[in-house]
Formats: sequence, structure tokens, C-alpha cells
Amino acid sequence: MFKFQDFDGKILALRAEMTAPVARIISTKLSSMPTPIRLFYVCKVFRYGQSYVEREREFWQAGVELVGNNSSEADGEILALLVSSLRKLGLKEVRLDIGHASLMKDLLKATALDEEKRDTLRSLLANRDQARLEKFMEQNNFNSKLRETLLQLTLCRRLDEVSSLSLDSPKYGKAGEHLRKLLKIKDVLADYGIENLVFFDFSLTRKIEYYTGMVFEVSVPNFGLPLGGGGRYDHLMEKFGKLKLPAIGFALEIEKCLQALTAQCFQFPEKTQTKILVASKSRKTAIEAVDIIRDAGVAALLNVTKNAKNKTIEYAKLAGMDYAVFVESSLEKPVTVYESRSNVSKRAMLKTFLQQIGGKTE
Amino acid sequence: MNRKIRIAIPNKGRLKEPSVKMLQNIGIEILEEERTYVCKTSDPRFEVIFARAFDVPVYIHYGAVDLGVTGYDLILEREAEVYDLLDLGFGKCQLVVAVPENSAIDSVNDIPSVARVATEFTNISRKYFENIGKQVEILGVRGTAELAPAIGLAQIIVDISSSGETLRKNNLKVIATILDSTCRLACNKIAYRTFEKEIAELLAKIKQDG
Repeated sequence: MFKFQDFDGKILALRAEMTAPVARIISTKLSSMPTPIRLFYVCKVFRYGQSYVEREREFWQAGVELVGNNSSEADGEILALLVSSLRKLGLKEVRLDIGHASLMKDLLKATALDEEKRDTLRSLLANRDQARLEKFMEQNNFNSKLRETLLQLTLCRRLDEVSSLSLDSPKYGKAGEHLRKLLKIKDVLADYGIENLVFFDFSLTRKIEYYTGMVFEVSVPNFGLPLGGGGRYDHLMEKFGKLKLPAIGFALEIEKCLQALTAQCFQFPEKTQTKILVASKSRKTAIEAVDIIRDAGVAALLNVTKNAKNKTIEYAKLAGMDYAVFVESSLEKPVTVYESRSNVSKRAMLKTFLQQIGGKTE
Repeated sequence: MNRKIRIAIPNKGRLKEPSVKMLQNIGIEILEEERTYVCKTSDPRFEVIFARAFDVPVYIHYGAVDLGVTGYDLILEREAEVYDLLDLGFGKCQLVVAVPENSAIDSVNDIPSVARVATEFTNISRKYFENIGKQVEILGVRGTAELAPAIGLAQIIVDISSSGETLRKNNLKVIATILDSTCRLACNKIAYRTFEKEIAELLAKIKQDG
């Protein structure tokens, strides 16, 4: 995080993500809103990483939060919204991987290993290094049930496969409960028609600490980094006040989404806003013309130089103007329209010309 | 997914030959290596590119390649977030702290606070010396860190050593080992999702073979 000191010595920080600020706003300013509350944001966030890779510091994030409800329907709505947002952007083969923030934690506790060995186990699971995982479990005398359970959890992808697992031993803490809660979403996803896009990933825990339940990450093939993700955070709100509200949300990294679109050979639509440069010997008529063009919903610039006609045309071209329009002393007379793209000029009444290029005229 | 799975392997040095051999052993023969940048293989599902071992972790991190053969030391040095799927067993080496044989420094505790350290492994070195509470100046060099003490660039080096030969030749002694490394098969995290079946098959073959 970027941190610095205020003049009175207080520590200030640039926001590294938006969920905590949103939680603060809800508990301090929106506490009387009926729940569930649904909010969205499109904001810049700032992160400092010492890492070699991914050196950017400033990111655009677009995200949503659904606050005040912890049903599977709420979870499903957020996942479905994530998928449809990316599809609407034009991304293909969107895939969601879901895990649970506490599932691994509880199972690691069940191993009765010391902190250091738990870290080793966590990293073996996170790295999908099955050979060393099996060796590690053997060396540390895991019983066959636990060994089997961990291996199956790392291998399961389909939610259906996961539902055949049982973690209901008292030794596993709340792991069984977590898994059952997570799997409840299956039917909701089916109703949204996106169950085939959603996969289970035991090793997915996301690095943010406030997550309490389901966590997820979204990706597309052909682009090597996740596009965004999120999760359920049922105890964050109460840190900012008396309000206790469960919540779930996601954030998309806009720059990564753009890169992914490029990787998928997406044709970005060209900007369609037409731009016109207006020039006239009569300043008053030129100003009048600019107003009429803008009222028609077309962008207009007034030529403020006293350049000759050919220079003005050249400027219009270089500045990306679609047309240069030369106005006489009165708009009762036709104007000369010069089109940058075709190098062709013609004479027309201003309003007729605006109608031809799709401007709104009354 | 309708494209080939791209594997990066080291383009030179001691990791290249065993990497090529490992692929051969599991039935992936590299075709037309000389002429092209991306090489076709005898298995139409895979293609191979040759890259600097030092850069392979970054290629994988960003998904420029799906899989890659590189050292564990390099994955850590490049701070790449990749799946470290399999220890390939070859390329065993240690990342060590070394000083001239005649130096008064016999352990890291003797390192004075104004020492300069020459290394290719600036990230790992910075973390290591921070961790043991030694304030040193880290100089990033490309290769041949072992020459630095002789020419007075630095009193200390951090470098990899497999047999100890290079260190001995340059009259250097090891005063600490930072980590043990081997060659790994690493994987981009999204590519793992996309090609899980093919990758599992590949892993099974390598394990069976080795």
C-alpha cells in the first residue's frame, strides 16, 4: 500500500481496493437503507508491489457489492453478474473457479502439524505439486482418510464430484459445514444456466484476509492472469460501526480485461463521434454555426486562427476532425464542407449537411 | 481450447540438454529447432520455445507460455506466481554466499556493514540479507559474479554452485547456503485450468519415466 503522513502526523493511505471503503460508507452513511443493498463502483485503486513482475501502480477497478444477505441466491446473483459482465464486454469462454476461504484453514488444523509444517503443506497444495504432497503426507504419518480427502479435494473440479466427498468428521472442525454451504450454490447456478462455467478449486483462497466464505476468480483461456474475483465477507461491516451485515462482491481489473480482449482478437469498435472544425471570416456566424452543430449532438470546434483555407484543412486532418466547414457571412447561404477522409469538398446548407451525417435537427 | 500448449525450455547452459531429453523420453520430439522461434514437436498438441532460463518464470507468469522448465532458484528470484508442478530432479545446485579464500570473513556474522554483494540474484539476496539483519549494498550483475571480488567490485558474491568448481577456480570459499534448488516443471495458473487433462497426462508420463 502507498502510505504517507498528513501534516498533523496522521498516516494516510491510497486505497488499494474498494470493498473496505464501500463497507465503511454503508455502515456510516447508508445504515438506514433497506437491505439487501446493491452498490457498484468504477474507481482507480493504487497498489505498491515490490515484485519484479506486474510493476503497475495505478489500476482501474469495476466492482459490485451485495450487502445484507447471505443466501445462496445472493452468491449466485453475484457470480451470474460477473459472467454476464464479461460476456457483455465481448469476452469468450469465461470461466469461474470457486473455493472457500476457511475450508483449507480448518483442514490444516485437523492435521495437527506445527505452524511451519502447515505452511509447507499449504504451499504444496497451492503449487499443485502432487508428488511432493504425497511424500509429505507419508512422512508426516497422515492417516489414510485424511490423505485421501486432501488428494481428492485437490483433484475435484466439478461441483458434482465435490458433493460426493464427506468432511463431516468432528476432527475436521467446520470443514464439512463450509463445504455443504459452498455446494448449495450448485442449484442456483443451474437456474442461471452457468453451472458449466463454474469449477471447484480447493487451493483457491485469495490473499485478502476479510473473506469468510466462498471466494472466486474469473479467467479466460489465452490470457494468463485472472481478470478479477471476489468473495463473501460476513464480518467486515461491523469493523466500521455497530452494523452487522453479511456481504459478497467482486471486482474486475479493467486493464487486464482489455488485455484479455486483445488476446482474444476482439475488434474494438471505432469511436463514432463525428468532429467538425468550423471556420469563417465572420466570427458571429461561426459561433452561431458551432452552436447549431453542438445542439445536433455533433462535436464542433471553432477555428481561432486566421490561417488560409488550405492550412485550416490540413490542421483539421491532422487533428482528427472528420470535416472542416467554411461558413459565409450568413447561415442563409450554403456552407462549404470539406471531408478529411475523402479529400472531397461540397456545398450544402448547414442543416441539410447535419441531417446527412445523422445529427439531430428539429 | 483450440491451440497448442506452449512449453518453454532453457536455450543454453546446463539445463538445456536434460530438458530436451526429458521431453524426448515422454515422446515429445522437437522438430526444426535451428530455423524457427516456435518449434513444432512430434506431438501435435505441444510446441516448444527456447528461452533464457532466467526469463522462463516471467513467461509463465504472464501466460506467454503455458509450461516451462526452469530452476526453483529462478522462480523465486523472478517472484513469479506460477504452479511449481514437479521437481524434475536434474539441475541440482545451491545458491551460496561466497568470499575470497583469504578473506577474514568466515561466516555471514563477520560481514561488515558496508559490504558490497555482487550477484545475478538481487531479489533473493536482498531478502536474505534483510532477514539476517545485515545491511549490505546489492550490485546486480549479469553473469560472472565470481569475478567481482578479484577486480574489487565487491567483497562478497551470491551465486549458484553445483560442483563448487567455478568457486574454487576463482579462489572463493562458501560462507553460507541460501537455498537448494533443482529444475522444476512450472505452469501458468490459468493455463492449468484450461489444459488440466493434457498437463495431468504429461506429469504422469514424466513421473513414470523418471
